[in-house]
Amino acid sequence: MKSNTLITILIITLLGLSSCEKFLEVNPQGDLTQEVFPTTSSDALLATNAVYTTLRNWHYHSGGFPILDIMSDDARKGSNPNDALNTVGPYNTFTINTTQDGLDRWWAALYQGIKRANVVIEKVPEINMDEQQQTRYIAEARFLRGLYYFDLVRAWGGVPIVKSTDPELKIPRATVDEVYLLIEEDLVFASENLPTKGSYGANDLGRATQGAAKALLAKMYLFKKDFANAEKFALEVIQSGQYDLESNFSDANGKNGEHGLESVFEIGAMEIESALGDQYANTQGVRGTPNRGWGFNRPSLDLRYSFEEGDPRKDLTIIDLGEEIDGILILGDGTTPDETYDEDGNLIEVECYNQKVWIPGTSTDTQFGHNRRLIRFADVLLMAAEALNENEKPGEALVHLNRVRARARQGNPAILPDISETNQTTLREIILRERRHELALEGHRFWDLVRTGYAAQFLGPHGFITGKHELLPIPQNEIDISQGVLTQNPNWP
Amino acid sequence: MKKTLCLFKPILTVMLMLAAGTSLLAQTIVTGVVTGSDTKETLPGVNIIVKGTNKGVITDIDGNYSIELQAGENFLQFSYTGYKMTEVNVGTNTIVNVELQVISELLDEIVVIGYGTVRKSDLTGAVSSLKSDEISKITSINPEQSLQGKVTGVQVSSNSGAPGSGVTVRVRGVGTINNSSPIYVVDGMILDDISFLNSADILSMEVLKDASATAIYGSRGANGVILVQTKTADLKQTKTQFNFSAEYGIQQLAKKIDLLDGRQFAIISNEIRPGSFNNVDAVPNTDWQDLVFRTAPMQNIQLSISGATEKTNFYIGLGAYNQDGIIPQSFYQRLSIKLNNSYMVNDRVKIGNNFTITPFKQRNAPNVTYQVYRAQPVLEPYYEDGSFGVVYNVGNPLADLAYSNDYRSGVRGVGNLFAEATIAKDFLFRSSYGIDASFNKSKRFTPAYTIHNPDGTASQQQNLFSDLAKSSSDNFSWLWENTLTYDKQFNEHTINAVGGYTMQKIRSESLSLAGQNLIRDGEDFWYIEPPYIIDESNNINMLQSIFNGVDFNQYYNMISYLFRVNYTYDNRYIATITFRRDGSSKFSSENRYANFPSFALGWNLINEDFMKGIGQLTNLKVRASWGKIGNDKMLYHDRFALVQSDLFAIFSNPDAPFPAATYIKTGNPDLKWETTTQTDIGLEIGFFNNRLTGEFDYYNRQTDDILVELSTPGHLGNGQGARVRYNAAAVLNRGFEFNLQWREKVGDFNYSIGLLGTTIHNEVLNIGGNSGVDSVLVSGYLGNGIPVTLTRVGKPVGAFYGYVTDGIFQSQDELNAYPHMSQAGIGDLRFVDVNEDGRLDGDDRTYIGSPVPDFIFGLNVNLGYKNFDFAIDIQGQTGNKIFNGKDVVRPDPYNFEARVWDRWTGPGTSNEEPRPSFGGYNYTPSDKFILDGSFIRLRNVILGYTLPERISQRLSISNIRVYLKATNVFTLTKYTGYSPEIGSYDVLSNNIDNGIYPISAVYAFGINVSF
Repeated sequence: MKSNTLITILIITLLGLSSCEKFLEVNPQGDLTQEVFPTTSSDALLATNAVYTTLRNWHYHSGGFPILDIMSDDARKGSNPNDALNTVGPYNTFTINTTQDGLDRWWAALYQGIKRANVVIEKVPEINMDEQQQTRYIAEARFLRGLYYFDLVRAWGGVPIVKSTDPELKIPRATVDEVYLLIEEDLVFASENLPTKGSYGANDLGRATQGAAKALLAKMYLFKKDFANAEKFALEVIQSGQYDLESNFSDANGKNGEHGLESVFEIGAMEIESALGDQYANTQGVRGTPNRGWGFNRPSLDLRYSFEEGDPRKDLTIIDLGEEIDGILILGDGTTPDETYDEDGNLIEVECYNQKVWIPGTSTDTQFGHNRRLIRFADVLLMAAEALNENEKPGEALVHLNRVRARARQGNPAILPDISETNQTTLREIILRERRHELALEGHRFWDLVRTGYAAQFLGPHGFITGKHELLPIPQNEIDISQGVLTQNPNWP
Repeated sequence: MKKTLCLFKPILTVMLMLAAGTSLLAQTIVTGVVTGSDTKETLPGVNIIVKGTNKGVITDIDGNYSIELQAGENFLQFSYTGYKMTEVNVGTNTIVNVELQVISELLDEIVVIGYGTVRKSDLTGAVSSLKSDEISKITSINPEQSLQGKVTGVQVSSNSGAPGSGVTVRVRGVGTINNSSPIYVVDGMILDDISFLNSADILSMEVLKDASATAIYGSRGANGVILVQTKTADLKQTKTQFNFSAEYGIQQLAKKIDLLDGRQFAIISNEIRPGSFNNVDAVPNTDWQDLVFRTAPMQNIQLSISGATEKTNFYIGLGAYNQDGIIPQSFYQRLSIKLNNSYMVNDRVKIGNNFTITPFKQRNAPNVTYQVYRAQPVLEPYYEDGSFGVVYNVGNPLADLAYSNDYRSGVRGVGNLFAEATIAKDFLFRSSYGIDASFNKSKRFTPAYTIHNPDGTASQQQNLFSDLAKSSSDNFSWLWENTLTYDKQFNEHTINAVGGYTMQKIRSESLSLAGQNLIRDGEDFWYIEPPYIIDESNNINMLQSIFNGVDFNQYYNMISYLFRVNYTYDNRYIATITFRRDGSSKFSSENRYANFPSFALGWNLINEDFMKGIGQLTNLKVRASWGKIGNDKMLYHDRFALVQSDLFAIFSNPDAPFPAATYIKTGNPDLKWETTTQTDIGLEIGFFNNRLTGEFDYYNRQTDDILVELSTPGHLGNGQGARVRYNAAAVLNRGFEFNLQWREKVGDFNYSIGLLGTTIHNEVLNIGGNSGVDSVLVSGYLGNGIPVTLTRVGKPVGAFYGYVTDGIFQSQDELNAYPHMSQAGIGDLRFVDVNEDGRLDGDDRTYIGSPVPDFIFGLNVNLGYKNFDFAIDIQGQTGNKIFNGKDVVRPDPYNFEARVWDRWTGPGTSNEEPRPSFGGYNYTPSDKFILDGSFIRLRNVILGYTLPERISQRLSISNIRVYLKATNVFTLTKYTGYSPEIGSYDVLSNNIDNGIYPISAVYAFGINVSF
């Protein structure tokens, strides 16, 4: 029996040894886990680049459809009458509800961009790498995080603040001031640590720059009505010597001016109908013949008629049927009426398209290659003019305003005369009108009207209700998921 | 270092065991004679085992035996079919004569349970058994198909009639919203399917249903366990036994779908689009079903050879299965090789192996049933020059078949090596090392071709460039199990205990790629190498796609500890305690281990004194069990938070892509097993010397922590619509099972009748309610992307939802009187404003039926008279609905089911079938397309004749039997499709008929020969 006992003991001991904990550690195959990324300097670059990719996400552009222009007096829904009638249509008439199509997409895309920025901001400091590069990457990410939060705060007001890659599942809304404080910190850091546009290498054209950060700061201060800071940063951009106006207005948004003099911050995109392109322009591209896109964001008659007599920017903003651009004849869409009348027989819409997104070509593919200009120098000049006027420096304001008009005039002395108005209120309205004509259909108008207090006057007839429509409703599914931790904006059900 | 140790341990253990067996001890010899209590005559071939060992002998022709006993070996166990197993304490005797008591064979039937066996009377769990003669009745590559209608609590549905396709098995309802399939344990190997096994090699299948039976399989037992024992030779079987059987069958379409003929279609087309056909009496009338479906043969041939010598026994099985599909271009061929051997190293140590090797080859037809259903009968299949005619909107199914080359082949090997040793008195140690390895590859080639329109232009049915897709996958897993069994009987106490430790590693990987434009069409050129094409955008495409990945349900390691004790007192009171602790790499270190306990009690009332002599009662037992078991068949990948690396930022002028990578979405490191808590109460009765037996069970199984994908808040940055899996849902299944058997022998006539049934109440108790994130799961997407199932609290899993119809709008007045959609007109279906808000919109869609049957049943009759045998198997189910998905998806003008002929043509003409249309409003998913899936099916009818002995003996053959068999020849159902059995692995998209390959009726004859 002795040997038996021995063997029994041996076997039991052997089994007892079997705490092979390593055996139960199996890593995912073919995939990197977040615990081990980013950990090298090349990882840091990859992670930084990823923060930019959100800019080409269709959802980033106000949920996909250009609702900011559609909600303004510059544009109507577009496409054919039935297309997206109940999804995009209600934005034009301020009849959206809390589950309206696009709200959740925009919300989610902005937070996705914020998360990607947080990856860099949180993880890159832990990497042992070249300090200058490290700081630049973090500054790029903080610029973009500020950019994304700026959209959030303007669209929805106070929103949950996420500054970590692993946030709580339920976070209540912060106040508007808290969100602005975060944006300010991010953009100030970015403006102090980013290279100037000129000091980037050719392959880095399109990255966030010191000028872009300052321009965005100026814009943020305008929204906060901190006109002293708005003036300061706008002027710093103007005086930096990095930027100027394109001589041709159409190059300010067109193919020729990509990453050009006037571009302060733009979204690079390739002429491919894929993740390398940007569907922003395809959404608004000419519908029908040539087939460039879906034809949303149709310039309104109101915009058409508001241009000053002979302003060349009207034709360069609106593509009309029968027009020939870059040798391509625009015939338009068979399912869209050339002219639309209301019940009383008044003309309310003509088939036309947004020329700001035009890019030469006849296919939808090429239309994906439009580089959307988020900030251009003309905008900075007008911001400076606005801030100076508010700071009771109308004389200086007029210099910048007239610089924009001079370019628009294209050397024709008969049109767009220099402005000499110095009454603050009148000049404020002139600058607002100039912004409308210079920046039409580029996504500025709705928020310009809201921040300057003119929304009720211009948009009231469209259905805008003061105290409600300044902000979009928080997407209902976000409120549902939060089990009520998120509260709805005022006057929304 | 530790890892190496892990791997070598099985080998070390086996070596140690072999060493254990070599020690020699003092011995005595015991002899005696064994007789039977009924005849008082000697019994030859009685099995005698030294208790607690594998050492045994059998009685000779005169009932004599002789056996050597070591010191300490005191008990001999005598067993013989039809007699009660008898245990004798030898003591100091050297001559022991034994009289075996005759018994009803049922009561002392040995039931296989996980990691052991138990007498039926000592069983506390709910276990159903099926023996080899029932299993081999069904000719199928899926042995589990034989369970259908034969055991309670089990629903088996064919996924498709295509040769080689699988079946869906559900034990006691649908346990989760994820993978609800049971596991299979083949000779100890834990597997997910058994299609590699030849039915003829299977000795028995036992379905473990309740927690007492399944808890020993811990984290994998929640959806039931099907134990499969393959055949071995008996040690006493000294004569080599040959069994040969061959079967040839003809398969044909069991039922055609009643569709409109050419003339009817033309008339209806003219009503929808006036002027479509000038002369409806002159249109062609093509029956596409007749053109596509064919009669196809199938053969099944097997040979087994088994035998034993003093120390070894062997079983060799060979099987060849060959089935052509009733749709051309489809077949399945399988060869199965089975080797089960064992060898007594000495009195105390046995070693052996069980191996199955199964190569197969399969050809798949494209899914043309959809096209056959849709193709307009007014179109000709061929032009006059013999080329394929265009079939608008769906493509010519005959052309698709002609140009299809879709092959799959592979080999699977499953088996184990084991050693058993009696390491001490009453203690048996067993170690087995098993592997499951398979390699599969597929290739699919479509030549370039064009089907032309009548005017000679190219139709949409074309393939501009030949294309080839290839894939290969390999799977390998090993399982090492060590168990120690303790078996002891003293006075009135019987104790059986088993403890064990197991390790398992599972790996699965696949690679696929596709290319275009091969230089020749022949099979010799089906390799992806040089071809490239230039597409319309001037891009050069060399390869269409490459995919290389692992199967995340099949890539993990496990370590388990198991324990069970079964105690019986005086054959009256039984208690079973089971416990398993599983550790799995699927889960993070915090949730890595989980415990699965179960407790059960049984009471054999029949053995109580107060029950003696009560009427004809011969068995009465009650049992109850409770336990927790798990389900780990789930996508555990979501526990990892991953990095996405296929992103690009665009910089520079001109624009150029620069690589980017970042976090995808948050993971859920807290993922854990789904846990089922099951209670079972059972009653077993027997009357008239157990000629009538009955078994009744009530079960209640609730699965909690079901993994469900829930939306995450936007601020997590996961992107729009992102979902992460959480353990958040719960599902309940409860019901009754009954199984009544009557068997009797009257002279030359013997017969048995079995009637069994199971009720199922399936209900979702929770879907993420605790997280508040989602309350419904939408699924069951049809071909047009419209979902038709909605899983929500209070309703069955995968419940159908849609509009409720209430007749047809007969007039403008009626149309005005009810809320309706803008598209609705006179003669169209009237949908009910379910929420009574005065509007008809998506919110009026509601529950319109369950895909889960509420009752499944079987009736089995066997008759024997002299040399004839006859069997009928009937099975069916009620209460389940089928969504006729193939009828609903109509983007283009397709043919219609015959009911459309009885359409609405004016006020009062019909209140059921609306005015005809080629799609649109009337084809919105509604209860109009919910059909009753209840059926009663004549599954099998067999008539056999065994040749009289005088003839077979003249041929030196012990037994010859010939038989005729008909399978699936008759089904009673209201369902209009090919078959009301529509299996689907995805429980959220179950019983949706999107045009499946029909199940065929089979007429076969066969022969069994043994010698």
